[in-house]
Amino acid sequence: MAVKAYELKDIRFGYPGSRFELEIGGLAIDAGTIAALVGPNAAGKTTLLMLLGLLHKPSAGAIQLFGQNPWNEGNRLFLRRRELAMVSHNPYLFKGTVFDNLVFGLKVRGISEKEWKAKAEEALGLVDMSGFEQKPASGLSAGQAQRIALARALILKPRVLLLDEPTANIDASLVSRIEALINEVNSRMGTTIVFSTHNFSQAFRIANEVIYLSEGKRVEYSHENYFSGHAQSDGRVSWIEPKSGTKIFFPGQFSGHLTCVISPGKIKIFSDEQKKELAGPNLFAGKITRLEMAENDLALVRVAGDLNFRINLPLQELKKKKVALSMQILVKFPPEAVEVIK
Amino acid sequence: MIFQELAQAIWVSVKVSAAAAAIASALAVPLALFLSSAQFRGKRWVLLINQTLMAAPTVVIGLLLYFLLSRNGPLGMFGLLYTQTAMMFGEILLILPIIIGFAYTALRQVDAKARLTALSLGATAGQAGWVVIREARFPLLVAILAGFARAISEVGVAMMLGGNIRGYTRNITTTIALESAKGEFTNGVILGVLLLFLTLGINLMVNLGLRSRD
Repeated sequence: MAVKAYELKDIRFGYPGSRFELEIGGLAIDAGTIAALVGPNAAGKTTLLMLLGLLHKPSAGAIQLFGQNPWNEGNRLFLRRRELAMVSHNPYLFKGTVFDNLVFGLKVRGISEKEWKAKAEEALGLVDMSGFEQKPASGLSAGQAQRIALARALILKPRVLLLDEPTANIDASLVSRIEALINEVNSRMGTTIVFSTHNFSQAFRIANEVIYLSEGKRVEYSHENYFSGHAQSDGRVSWIEPKSGTKIFFPGQFSGHLTCVISPGKIKIFSDEQKKELAGPNLFAGKITRLEMAENDLALVRVAGDLNFRINLPLQELKKKKVALSMQILVKFPPEAVEVIK
Repeated sequence: MIFQELAQAIWVSVKVSAAAAAIASALAVPLALFLSSAQFRGKRWVLLINQTLMAAPTVVIGLLLYFLLSRNGPLGMFGLLYTQTAMMFGEILLILPIIIGFAYTALRQVDAKARLTALSLGATAGQAGWVVIREARFPLLVAILAGFARAISEVGVAMMLGGNIRGYTRNITTTIALESAKGEFTNGVILGVLLLFLTLGINLMVNLGLRSRD
């Protein structure tokens, strides 16, 4: 049985004075794997990374890090944090030089000063920034700062590396280098890596597991739930055509190639008889081809037809609507439920 | 003789105010760090009370300590009234809220990410707190200098608790008050200008020292 780097159960977390709340029923990440957190803005990706980084304490639920609850450690929590390193997408660099930043983690761990120089050079080489040791950290561009922050984390050789949108500020020419570095660190050192991204293709390209978040919750997504296509606009609304004769409408003006995601929570299911009462954009007919129990009193429903969906719906709602396998249904969602990813 | 008295007054001013600023800073900065990072019920009231105390009149603080330290007061047995120690305690009370207020603002301005970044890189809570203080060192220095400037320029506490004893507790401001009371306004103005230059010199030395270390 694979060792779990993380096991989360019934986690809840909210910021004081904010309506946003993160609720993760269950989540397990195997040690030595790469997991991607994907979702739109305000989905909770960064918050979840902060919880995984032990920088926020959940208000409810339990986090296990390599089989132990780190929040039981009291004053020795920092020792568990030393197994991790986190890089934010807009990282904070301390005042001073690049070298001062790189060796910060070594310094607080009491690692001998003699080792700092060699380690700093090695870390800078990994992110293609050799020779930057004595540059002031405040003069770096956003992309350079992000690479220095990555080097500052890599120098520590952590068991778990948490990366918040690691390529967000990086030049396109360096994105593949950073992606290769993530893979290299994972395969060579066995480091567990959890990263967040808006980029679906990046997530599927690098990660062993893709975890989708929406509005603070983990949601079940499949390839059927996001659509790539050529977007057109009539000046008021836009649409893409993922399948011949099917248009998905969404607000705003877009053109060119787009990927869209439809939030499962906003998809409504109606019986076929209600067709006359329903009108408007994004109304599709389909047939339930799969129906099975999922976690937390949810049922996984696959709908095949004009559009293919795989979504989680509350069991109670399904019972109320008497949804059964092979049943013809109507699926409707408002244009606002369509989120443009890129 | 006059110059000797003047030098003595300058020395008393600098010594007492610097000691008061150092002790008050040692108390105020950790308190401000706690206030800037901790969330607790009543925090808003604590800040409001501190802001109010920033404007406390020097004579009120002097009077309060006078009652405490006078021979029949609860702390009278220590015999501190009309000593430099009493002046220093009074000045600490006077400038503590000022340094807390300015230091709180300085530490709040440091990106909250500084602390989180330090923690995420394995720092202990104490090490992360030190990082925040280091990142805010220039505005913190301004807070400490503001406290020192307030201490060296006040007259109420020094007069009430020091008693303006020649050659012992007489400092620049009590000398100015004495000279003005005697009608020697020119001397008062000259001493005032001297006080300003003294403060300027100390500010310059501290700033230059810190910048050269940076």
